[in-house]
Amino acid sequence: MNQTANSVPVVEMRNIKKSFGAVQALRGVDLALYHNEVLGLMGDNAAGKSTLMKVLSGAYIPDEGEILIEGKPVHFSNPMDARRKGIEMVYQDYALANNLDVSANVFMGREVVRLKLGPIGVLDYGYMERETRNLLSRLRIDIPSVRQKVERLSGGQRQAVAIARATAFDAKVIIMDEPTAALSVAAIDQVLDLVKQLKAQGASIIIISHRLEDIFRVSDRMIVLRHGRKVCDTPIEGDLHDFRERVVAYMIGARDDYATRTAA
Amino acid sequence: MSFAQDVRRLVRENIREYGMFIALFVIMGYFSIATDGLFISSRNIVNLVNQTGYIAVLAVGMTLVIVIRHIDLSVGFLAGFLGAVAAIGMVQWGLPWYLSILLVLGLGMLAGLLTSFQVAELGIPAFVATLAGWLGYRGALQLATRATGTIIIPSDPFNAIGNGFIPDFVPDIGILPEVHKTTLLLGLLGILFFVLGEINSRRRLLNQGFEVLSAPMFILKLAFISALIGGIAWILAGYRGLSWTAVIILVVVLVYHFITTKTVLGRHIYAVGGNPEAAELSGIRVKKITHIVFASMGMLAGLSGILYASRLRSATTTAGNLFELDAIAAAFVGGVSAAGGVGRVAGSLIGALIMTSLTSGMNLMQIDISYQYIARALVLAIAVIFDVTTRRRAR
Repeated sequence: MNQTANSVPVVEMRNIKKSFGAVQALRGVDLALYHNEVLGLMGDNAAGKSTLMKVLSGAYIPDEGEILIEGKPVHFSNPMDARRKGIEMVYQDYALANNLDVSANVFMGREVVRLKLGPIGVLDYGYMERETRNLLSRLRIDIPSVRQKVERLSGGQRQAVAIARATAFDAKVIIMDEPTAALSVAAIDQVLDLVKQLKAQGASIIIISHRLEDIFRVSDRMIVLRHGRKVCDTPIEGDLHDFRERVVAYMIGARDDYATRTAA
Repeated sequence: MSFAQDVRRLVRENIREYGMFIALFVIMGYFSIATDGLFISSRNIVNLVNQTGYIAVLAVGMTLVIVIRHIDLSVGFLAGFLGAVAAIGMVQWGLPWYLSILLVLGLGMLAGLLTSFQVAELGIPAFVATLAGWLGYRGALQLATRATGTIIIPSDPFNAIGNGFIPDFVPDIGILPEVHKTTLLLGLLGILFFVLGEINSRRRLLNQGFEVLSAPMFILKLAFISALIGGIAWILAGYRGLSWTAVIILVVVLVYHFITTKTVLGRHIYAVGGNPEAAELSGIRVKKITHIVFASMGMLAGLSGILYASRLRSATTTAGNLFELDAIAAAFVGGVSAAGGVGRVAGSLIGALIMTSLTSGMNLMQIDISYQYIARALVLAIAVIFDVTTRRRAR
């Protein structure tokens, strides 16, 4: 397939199953993400893409199946577990505190302390603000001041802050849930440029999106889910028009030969 | 961002930040003129500060409760009940005054945890849980004082909390014979610390390339706050100096200001207020923060009860009536946002001072109590409208 095919994936999910009551959201999905790869994850509503990513980020515990990080099996019982293992999730609604400034959001839950007075930690404002500025400039994110409250930022800037936050702590994998869903066209370009920037700096990324052109522009490979099953796993290639036709056929179920092809 | 935009934004932010200072100045100025200086007299201001005490400490705790998007209606009668417990501790159980105080502060924390257990663990809306508390503590207060009626507190040190003043350590050397010189010195120290602190933080910000207030604006701010501290110290020194109540208010506000602005705990409280889901996803334990905030509220209710009982030198059957609403009003006047995540403890102190100034000034002017309620309602409404409109424009 490509040169990374033989190496150990950063993340591998094997035969993941998850049900909610009578609803089988995931019916045995495999997923592999290789180092420095951008993987697009597509599917119609209720195809299971968000559920799959919530399993990977520790928000859901799978009924069956295993997760391996760099070849080692792991178990997450909550999002913090996953974060500690280097899996960062950027949520669709940014998951920022609008009343706090940019630096406070980047370090939310991971504040750096200048000194400890018993159980009370005194914040190291200087360090956190310096680091935030370095981070933003490294990712070429244009925000005038790290002391700006998030409520004063545009949608694109907020998404950029959310993404920057995910990358701030040496994440192995960054999952982005519909990063462009709520944005203007100009802001979408900003965010996609940011994804390319991250890839250029060595990040491994999974993007959930229902906008095929976004995934086409930034991804190396794409997986399509349908009714909780993987129905397509293909490198991004050719021109957008042909690619779209091929993928949409899998999405709507007009074509369903993935399982038989891989079995063969 | 252009220069004009910069200036406009600066003015907007300053209006939000200093609006209540200006309001306090206007209100105090008006009453001073309307009462021929009686309002601003040392004796009245000292009284006013002591009256503010038991509301101010509640308002500080309420600020944090509202910041994390809850409310606590139970604290008024909780304060009254705990004041009665303090009195009973000293009078009937023979506890020394300091043990009685510690007991009451501890019980306050437990009461706060009782509320937060319902709110955080059982998911009961704080409004309902604390309404039950309001009823319960009211009943408890009546039970506690039923046998004896008003409980007279005989302990002098305890009663000094609400009525006493710090001693003057400076010997009488002829200058300013009628003035409490320790209070003046403390005022000067306060100004010194404030000015040095501001200059330091401005220098640090400049070094790191952040935008700061322009130099004239900065000097104006320093002069204004220094004049405020100096003026208050001068007025207090003219009577009997700093009261113990004032000392307690200052300590509470300084400690809470430090915690909310400089510590991880404070950051987490505001993060929970801004976006509880995001805070939880970031590994902040929202339940733990809820417990801490309500426990602190309960402890401050205990302190409020102590201040009130000490001021009256007794525990009464109606102690604490409507304290919670005064505290909530003070917090809103002081810039706390009902939507959560926004509000400073220092602002709530100013809010409490504004509300007590209104009461005190209108009492001096012998305004009918009915009009007093309406006037206070107007001030509260104006404060909230001002807050909402400036916030909306700032977006």
